[in-house]
Amino acid sequence: MKKVIEGNHAVSWGAKLARVEVISAYPITPQTQIVERLSEMCADGSLDARYISVESEHSAMAACIGASAAGVRTFTATSSQGLALMHELLHWAALGRHPVVMADVNRALGPGWNIWTDQNDSLSQRDTGWIQFYCETNQEVLDTTILGFKLAEAVDLPVMVVLDAFFLSHTAEPVDIPDQELVDGFLPRREARYKLDVEDPHAFGALVRPDAYMEMRLQQQEAMERAHDAFDEIESEWEALTGRRYGAIEGYRTEGAELLLVTSSTITSTAREVVDARRDAGEAVGLVKVKMFRPFPTERLRRLLSGVSRVAVLDRNISPGHGGIFAEELRSALYDVPPDDRPTLFGYVVGLGGRDVTPTVIGEIIDGTRAAERPEREDLWVGVAP
Amino acid sequence: MAEVGPHGGIPPISVSSTSTRVNRTGSWKYIRPVYQDRVAPCNAGCPVGIDIEGYMNLLREGRDDEAMDLLLRENPMPAVTGRVCDHPCETHCNRRFFDEPVSIHAVERMLGDRILERDLPTPVATQRKERIAVVGSGPAGLACGYHLARLGYRAVVYEAAPEAGGMLRLGIPEYRLPREILDAQIERIRAEGIEIRCGVRVGPDVPWGELARYDAVFVASGAHQGRATGMEGEESDGVRSGLHFLKEVNAGGRPDIGRRVVVVGGGNTAIDCARTARRLGAEVLLLYRRTRAEMPAIDEEILEAEREGIEFEFLAAPNTVAKLNGRLRGVECIRMVLGEPDDSGRRRPVPTEEGQFTVIVDTILTAIGEITDLGFLPPDVHQDRWQIVVDELGATSTPVVFAGGDVTDSERTVAHALGDGKRAALGIDRFLRSAAGEPIPAVDPERYCLGPEGNISMTRWRDDDPLRRNSPVNEVVEFEDMNQDHFQHADRHPDHHLSDARTLAGFDEVNQGLGRDEATEEALRCMNCGVCNQCELCLIFCPDMAVSRSEDGWGFVIDMDYCKGCGVCAAECPRGAMVMTREGL
Repeated sequence: MKKVIEGNHAVSWGAKLARVEVISAYPITPQTQIVERLSEMCADGSLDARYISVESEHSAMAACIGASAAGVRTFTATSSQGLALMHELLHWAALGRHPVVMADVNRALGPGWNIWTDQNDSLSQRDTGWIQFYCETNQEVLDTTILGFKLAEAVDLPVMVVLDAFFLSHTAEPVDIPDQELVDGFLPRREARYKLDVEDPHAFGALVRPDAYMEMRLQQQEAMERAHDAFDEIESEWEALTGRRYGAIEGYRTEGAELLLVTSSTITSTAREVVDARRDAGEAVGLVKVKMFRPFPTERLRRLLSGVSRVAVLDRNISPGHGGIFAEELRSALYDVPPDDRPTLFGYVVGLGGRDVTPTVIGEIIDGTRAAERPEREDLWVGVAP
Repeated sequence: MAEVGPHGGIPPISVSSTSTRVNRTGSWKYIRPVYQDRVAPCNAGCPVGIDIEGYMNLLREGRDDEAMDLLLRENPMPAVTGRVCDHPCETHCNRRFFDEPVSIHAVERMLGDRILERDLPTPVATQRKERIAVVGSGPAGLACGYHLARLGYRAVVYEAAPEAGGMLRLGIPEYRLPREILDAQIERIRAEGIEIRCGVRVGPDVPWGELARYDAVFVASGAHQGRATGMEGEESDGVRSGLHFLKEVNAGGRPDIGRRVVVVGGGNTAIDCARTARRLGAEVLLLYRRTRAEMPAIDEEILEAEREGIEFEFLAAPNTVAKLNGRLRGVECIRMVLGEPDDSGRRRPVPTEEGQFTVIVDTILTAIGEITDLGFLPPDVHQDRWQIVVDELGATSTPVVFAGGDVTDSERTVAHALGDGKRAALGIDRFLRSAAGEPIPAVDPERYCLGPEGNISMTRWRDDDPLRRNSPVNEVVEFEDMNQDHFQHADRHPDHHLSDARTLAGFDEVNQGLGRDEATEEALRCMNCGVCNQCELCLIFCPDMAVSRSEDGWGFVIDMDYCKGCGVCAAECPRGAMVMTREGL
């Protein structure tokens, strides 16, 4: 069934189709519609879930962790400062290996107060142990929410589904909503490996001494590594059912390219248009979309980017004192590529606080990358008043 | 949950390898929770000693028959009190601090009416040989006989009037208490095994000495003589005792009172006179020497009187009757001001020279109080100012004689009369058992009183609480002792009333009470103050899962091996029915 829905409601539909059992959330713009719709679904009986209203995002995640520990499928959504407030419990969810799925609508952090999109909120949570997916379309948002539960429960790690404020959250697009039966077959009821059980009570989250802590951490890291292949398998299964596949990364018109743009989220859609136009004009320009940020698809990126002359990374985020975060991650990933095959990497900082990244901006980036011998700086700010 | 795998078998998360049951966290505690039920303020405020909170609790559980039984244990006439009691329970109800008090009277009335439609079994007591004479079949006398019957005694009630009921029948108008309700209620009481002999006045018809063949006597003959106002010309035609007027109308008479009636007084008799006179077609002015705030009448009754068009003149008293051609024509009144408080705590009205006025009137009804007529009593039964002196269980100065209700200094309400009757029944039971050489418990208010006000509880006396309160104490639970977070606001159901058009057309019952569903909803508004109603929040909130249901499904047990004394259960208990006590002391 196709419906024209906003990205936020694509998330709600995804969670509903996943038959989430507990939802706990605190409202924040631009996320609120997600949980609003879910609360309506709980109220009208179309979703058999317990909706727990709480007084903060910290409590929302705590409630999700508690519910997840009891063995049920659990969901929340937040944005910006709300996600920041959850920080402590993001670690708890990940180290407790609770397969919570959370939607984060990318919104700039304040002050100055800003409700528009950039990625600093989710990327600030890079090291909390959450799998992170960045979405380009509302269809991808819905699919990734469902895929997220499957992956989370396969590797016992929490998953963050990230979408751009307004460009996706409040923009309506045609979305194919799969049948419940199809999703039920793809995503059966959660079978928790560990759960709270009054018949067999165990303590969770208690003291772990130095002689065991590293082994526990190593298993978290191994689970992250398993997530690469697990996601491939899950996507294959989904593709067989729906015909749709996104990939941890996606190469677009990369064949013979001398310059590859690296993008994430909705900037990708704009960049596709620019790449098409340049290809039509005979320029060897292509695009790599990064969907999965954690675990970082290092090997796949190395394979795709090796031998390309130049790479321009578009970062809608900034690690102050260093540079764009995707660019930094990619520099690190490409370090082991032999010098002859290693592309020159240009890191552009764009679109912070919801500033438009237009075809013109992307065109300037392409032209600037081709014209320069080497980047003048690690962080090249585009479209900023000098 | 054994984890075998890489990394030395260390599990991927922090999880205990053994069951947490090995960790007896109970050893940490220095305070422990105890289920301790206290007394709900409604119960403490009920002179009848009704376990209101208890029957509300049973109604919540859908145990309606048990609710009716619990009510009948303490109150012989709930269909009556549900209508005419001034329900002090509601003025005590903790819910008044939350939104509005529970409409207890409406719930009692609903249960009372259902009881009259039902044939509930009467508890069978071991029959005793002693017989008790009861003088007067008003609420005090009937209550005493009823409770004595339930304790196994034979009671014979002597009533001077042709029908039983005392002031309920003689004084209370039909529009407040329909006669079919009263008749059915008295029939039900009679059916419990009480003999009522009507038309027999102790003194003229049965000499006091004849009562000596009984093992005990309970005197509850009431107060029937109207007090004189002291106004000049009080003996004139057209000036009547309000109580006599009510008796005449209540017996079916329709006396000619003329068009203009003045009622003197501010109590329930005065209001009853005024509303009755209004129904006979008169314009009614009520004179009261204090202000509205001091009126002892039930507030709802005053409001009804106002609705019915009765005029009020406060701070006024009749002084002299004015006559024309020997007939009452008017009454000259004087103005009062409020002075210093008197014995009753109310400010004493003091006459002033100014503001005298005259009211044209056809009939004056005086209702400033009634006094007893105890001429039949022997002098060894001590009196003080025409009232019999009794102890805390109704015993007079004469061993076999007990008394209660309006012949004593008890408050003159139906509820107090019912409480007095029960109190004396218990006193008589103790007295006769003691006389028979049987062991009797010491006079211990904790054992037979519900709450600190001395209200007698037969359930406590017989020690068979169907709600099995947890180690109950007689302390009243305050609203502040309760966790208000767990209650939701809900509007009180207002009583249904006869339409204004029908009110003055006759003597139909004005207050129609609540429907059964509405009354049941009121029962659900009850917060069960101070008493565990099995809400399970202790079980839900216990972080150690140390609280569990008792095996028989009623109440809870706490596993002290795991209760670490955090106090969350007691803090969350909505009703203040748990306390934390020092450990090991």
